[in-house]
Amino acid sequence: MSLFVTAFGFGLVSMSVIAIAAVGFTMQFGITNMINLAYGEVMICSAYVAYYMNKAGISIWIGMLAGALFGAVFSFLLNRLLYAPFQRKNTSYLGMVIVSLAVSLMIANLLLPIVGYYSVSYQESTSTTVHFGAIVLTNNQMIVIGISVALMLTIHGLLRYTRLGKAMRATAANPTLARNCGIPTQRVVDSVWLITGAMCGVAGVVAALNSDSFAIANGAGFLITALAAAVLGGAGQPYGAMIGAVLIGLITEFSAAAWSPEYKEVVAFGILVLVMVLRPQGLLAKRGALAAAG
Amino acid sequence: MNVYYAANLLVYAGVDIIACLALNLMFGVSGIVNFSFIVFQAVGAYSAAILSMPPDTAFGYDFQTYLGGSQLSFPLPWIGGAVAGGLLAIPIGFVVLRKLRADYQAIALLVLSIIANTVVTNATRLFNGAAGLALVPPPFSQQIDPNTENYQYLYVGLTAVCVVLVLIVVARITDSPYGRSLRAMREREVAAMAIGKNPVKLKMITFIVGGVIAGLSGAILVGFIQLWAPSVWLYPETIILFAAVIVGGRGNNVGAILGALLVPVGFEEVTRLMANVALGPPGMIPALEWVAIGLLIIGFLWFRPDGVRPEPRHVFEGAPAVDDT
Repeated sequence: MSLFVTAFGFGLVSMSVIAIAAVGFTMQFGITNMINLAYGEVMICSAYVAYYMNKAGISIWIGMLAGALFGAVFSFLLNRLLYAPFQRKNTSYLGMVIVSLAVSLMIANLLLPIVGYYSVSYQESTSTTVHFGAIVLTNNQMIVIGISVALMLTIHGLLRYTRLGKAMRATAANPTLARNCGIPTQRVVDSVWLITGAMCGVAGVVAALNSDSFAIANGAGFLITALAAAVLGGAGQPYGAMIGAVLIGLITEFSAAAWSPEYKEVVAFGILVLVMVLRPQGLLAKRGALAAAG
Repeated sequence: MNVYYAANLLVYAGVDIIACLALNLMFGVSGIVNFSFIVFQAVGAYSAAILSMPPDTAFGYDFQTYLGGSQLSFPLPWIGGAVAGGLLAIPIGFVVLRKLRADYQAIALLVLSIIANTVVTNATRLFNGAAGLALVPPPFSQQIDPNTENYQYLYVGLTAVCVVLVLIVVARITDSPYGRSLRAMREREVAAMAIGKNPVKLKMITFIVGGVIAGLSGAILVGFIQLWAPSVWLYPETIILFAAVIVGGRGNNVGAILGALLVPVGFEEVTRLMANVALGPPGMIPALEWVAIGLLIIGFLWFRPDGVRPEPRHVFEGAPAVDDT
């Protein structure tokens, strides 16, 4: 039993990490209609940006900000220079998926000669732990959970209470109509890529922090868990992705405790398949893309 | 040029041509973006290997662990590999091809490809895990020594026969009214449904036929290289084949063959030629090749989305002239 209580603790951390990644991913899809399969690789790049800053003796949390900045700029440029021109050419959804997969392959292989094959890990001396009954969390894990909660609340506030958030929801619902109503959709899309890119960067750093050591090969795994959470919640829906992250985080950690940690991604995939068979529109699809919860 | 080198080149070319024809049938003609294509090839290869190997308790094979091992003689392992590819297509097609949106289908298949590789790598008892299967007996190895020149001619001949067979089957499908239904479905699924076509059934059958052909390509390859491991069927391998079909010309069998010769075979040869060139850290050249594959796909989709040999426009006698804009 205590095994599962411990697993619940890990689940809390996992779901925090997945939520950041999945909300960013699903907002890219919901607002810009782009399934960005290069998302996992951008996460890894940001993790490496933080790694090199960390190696130079800078705190990992400052490194995380640098990773976020990198992710934002990189995603913005990726969209401006590649995805948007293809979308303007009326490339089909499938064509866009193929383009983003090609990009993902290119990023991973451009990174390879720079950082090498080997796994690396962050240097962080803090090892103090916090006890909640049987749940033991390290300081870093507490901070990760805190960052995630703060980000989720920020996204909620952004979508619900700001003009930009309203414009994003309008653009997601119907870009042409939004433009005709005087919403600068181009600027909205740009800001979406900056915001989601920053989330992608943060997600990369916290995922790398959470998995002790990381290498380029982890990019695919990061993408799968984010995808699974996003699809489970209903692709394009930030609140759905949050729920998806909670479920995927808990289920994968419980399965790791009960079965084998190597199969975490397999379990995430199993959930993905079940959702696709039983409820392909995801849990929250009835609410319409990006509608505010409640 | 030495016989072994030429045989190696020709067998790889044959396998790539067969694979590209199958992928073209699924992706080019029917519009199914099968990002887990390489899994079908892998399942064909593993099945053919298991069917031709003795059980893992046999002398000389006891350093590996795998299921089965039935030591069948020649055509059976290849047929088994093809059947396995087709059988795998049924459950995957059932889950993926039903009512999902096309881009969901593509990402589900991509994830499947990554996960299948993880499972086979970790489940050591299935196909010997990450180390993979080795010492797979090639066809006719009892009768002819596989290390002779004559055997190379034999293997190239067998491969060529399969290429021709596959080409005939695929061409019969794409040139028939059935192929027309497939293209109609690819162009506009709702319109195809309106004239009484069942897209799920059409996709399912194409998926199974493609799976059979992909399985056969794996069986041919494993008989030649005599080993098969998770590292040879990582998901980027599928992307090379996609690059080949896009470069060659989607929906055109001649284009698929051309693409197979230009992209996978071409890159293989470039690697061989560049093997002695020291440039940057180890792994630099393969990494740059993947970058080049990515650039090739993006470049072609931007500048020439129809490929080198575009799909011929199917014009029928008596059809009203259409303003071509």
